[in-house]
Amino acid sequence: MKTTLRIIAFLFFGVFTLQVYAHHAFTAEFDRNAPINITGKVVKVEWINPHAWVHVEVEDESGKTVWMVEGGTPNTLIRNGITKKTLVPGTTIIVRGYQSKGKLCLPRCIANGRDVTFPDGSKVFMGSSGTGAPRDGADPREPNRE
Amino acid sequence: MRKLGFFLILFFISLEGYTKKTEENSEIHDLMAYLLDPAAEAIWNSAGYVITEEGEFNLEPTDQEGWDKVKHGAKVISESSHLLSMPNRAVDNVQWVTFSMALKEMGERALQAAEKKDSEELFKVGADLYQVCVACHQIYWVKEE
Repeated sequence: MKTTLRIIAFLFFGVFTLQVYAHHAFTAEFDRNAPINITGKVVKVEWINPHAWVHVEVEDESGKTVWMVEGGTPNTLIRNGITKKTLVPGTTIIVRGYQSKGKLCLPRCIANGRDVTFPDGSKVFMGSSGTGAPRDGADPREPNRE
Repeated sequence: MRKLGFFLILFFISLEGYTKKTEENSEIHDLMAYLLDPAAEAIWNSAGYVITEEGEFNLEPTDQEGWDKVKHGAKVISESSHLLSMPNRAVDNVQWVTFSMALKEMGERALQAAEKKDSEELFKVGADLYQVCVACHQIYWVKEE
């Protein structure tokens, strides 16, 4: 009987968990299988709810590309130590995150940011918790399950 | 083994019911998509800052028309709490209604901020509003198109 209950519990929680995560905002917009590292200069920061946006200009042999990187709420960023004084235009940063599902940068390159590394080497979580983003260890408050 | 088969049948019947119920909740989906989302956007897009190398730009409304749009969004959010709590829409009478009433409070706070033209307070309300949205969506989720 115990085994039967375990199987039922597994099916219920397994299926319902999948349902919740399958429809989450992160998976609707971003590809968890397309991690990306963006190194470039901050050109614009939008401190708006519900997500702050950091525009990063990447320069390579093909020219300049601006990536729009979605962060957590402004309050979340501030709590993590990312403020208007630390994230200023002109700063070179490295953002680790995930590309949008449309990877062709049309009409623009968009990514979901997980953490940001500043010129002094400090790395700070810049994403959102509990939004369906991969539990990749970027969020120090979230247990790493993957 | 027979018991296992019986429970599996029960499971798939309940799963089918769950899926049907989710699909039938298009009323909630529409309420979110056509009322709450645009109303929340009106609040979120009217408070905050954009910083570029040229300087800092405040997103607060610059005229009465802009503040009136915020008031409209605020009122839609507070009144939507009642629409969400209608007996045929409320998924339960405890958490669902609690979250709905939290929306009412958010709407009322946003309205007060807009009446005072207090963009700092509106920014705070916008952050709190999002927390209510996330907390509710983590428990209840309406199927997307």
